[in-house]
Amino acid sequence: MKTRFLVEDLINWRSAQAEADVPPPPRAAKLLELTRPWWQVQPEHFQALVRQFETMLRVGYAMDPERAQRQSYPVPAVLAQTNVETNALVDVLYFSLRGRTLRMRFAVRVAADLRRPGLEVTFVAAESPEPLFCAKANLSPDGDYRLEVGVPTQLAEAWSRLRVTQRMPFRLILRPQDEV
Amino acid sequence: MRVCLSRHTQQVPPPLTLSFDRDISRSDVAAGSRVVTGESAMSDRTSPGGAAGDLRALASNLAEKAAAARQAGDESTASGFFGDAVVAAVRAMEASQEMALELVLHAARWALEAGDVATARSFLEMQSREEVAGSEVWRQIADVDAWPDAWLVAAVRRSRPDEEALDALARRYWRVLFGRCQMLVLKREAAADLAQDTWCRVLRAREKLLPNGNFRAYLLMIATNLWRDSKRAALRAGMMASERMSSLEEELAVGDGVSVSLEETLPDLSQLEGVARDRLKQDLDFALEQLDALSRDVLIARFLDGVSCAEIGRRYGRTEQTASGWLRRALSELKACLEASRQRAR
Repeated sequence: MKTRFLVEDLINWRSAQAEADVPPPPRAAKLLELTRPWWQVQPEHFQALVRQFETMLRVGYAMDPERAQRQSYPVPAVLAQTNVETNALVDVLYFSLRGRTLRMRFAVRVAADLRRPGLEVTFVAAESPEPLFCAKANLSPDGDYRLEVGVPTQLAEAWSRLRVTQRMPFRLILRPQDEV
Repeated sequence: MRVCLSRHTQQVPPPLTLSFDRDISRSDVAAGSRVVTGESAMSDRTSPGGAAGDLRALASNLAEKAAAARQAGDESTASGFFGDAVVAAVRAMEASQEMALELVLHAARWALEAGDVATARSFLEMQSREEVAGSEVWRQIADVDAWPDAWLVAAVRRSRPDEEALDALARRYWRVLFGRCQMLVLKREAAADLAQDTWCRVLRAREKLLPNGNFRAYLLMIATNLWRDSKRAALRAGMMASERMSSLEEELAVGDGVSVSLEETLPDLSQLEGVARDRLKQDLDFALEQLDALSRDVLIARFLDGVSCAEIGRRYGRTEQTASGWLRRALSELKACLEASRQRAR
């Protein structure tokens, strides 16, 4: 016997089958633990990375001969890979804050070749070891990284007039997505 | 803020206390918050209930303002006003030196609207078992699984979410979320991962949640966006070179293949059982897997969410005609895959 079924019915049937065979839901405690920012989960690691900025500020800028000629301000960054942490400079190529949505494009200047498809970017206050927020950046076909993230309201107000040519009020900790 | 109330009952009244968390106490009436400053009429107008009556009226007024703010999408103001309404209600009870049961009930509900579960529970604990059992609203307040989405979402969107409310919300939508994730990724383990990631994404941005919004739709949208992002990221990484990702510009002229012939002994899908059911599930998953991400997305949006082609087109910044073309192509491809698969099986 041949029966004709509407594709719509088949899709709805398959969806209902999936819903009928569902594993137990995750517990709230687990979900909340998973959503804790990494700097709360690994505070020592975060502090160690922030300390690395201090070294970088003391030594790194002095070793950047082109610094005086450049119109922009590179952002100090630490590239934290498994078992190795590398100092880096980030050139912010585009910075746009509309409402609370930050869109940023940046290039990473680092000694080794960095071609990771995704980076987890932690913004750290420029003047204090205070983590601000975290975002995911994806490698674009042009070789730079792009991110879009909702920033906390207070920061959105404070950064609303910030231009890409100005000194950025943050430092960055970069962690490859596949190592997070 | 701690408030002492005496109960309006026949028995000896034990002193009862309410402790408000910071969100509520900041709007303490005595501190000259908007509760007082916004309602100057309080001082020169006396209602039949005196000061207590005025405070009661004020509490209701604030709750109305809160509801209006929520309706307008201003959740921060709405939560503040609901919190103020609770404070005004407690002050009214203090002023009248009695526990007006109806007002306590309102205050408990306003606390839940503000997401302040601890305060609502304090009100609940003041009620006797008989009072709770005899009132449908108290029974609802006592049973977190019976809370409307608005209360659960309000409790979850706070800086410290209420775990019981989060558990209830996760339970309520887990089935539909998992089902959708399964349809997107077509693998059970990956579906569970995607569903969990969806919850994590929702919780990380929980201050954006709107208690009167459509939480189900929001959850499914986040799941779909995460899936789309993963597809895009994989494509960028070159891992999907062999997969067909159709261009958004592509217009397709296809026939209207909207039904599929299946050789089955049962005329009704709901009656399929055992091997026949599993085989059809496998065939459908295989056929869906052959579709590119756009086609799968369009089929799910159209047939599971009931989204119109015009809306699908809008989501992608394309016309309704373009989206209709995508839908026809997706149907046609799915039909071809499915029929070929069934043909092979025979």
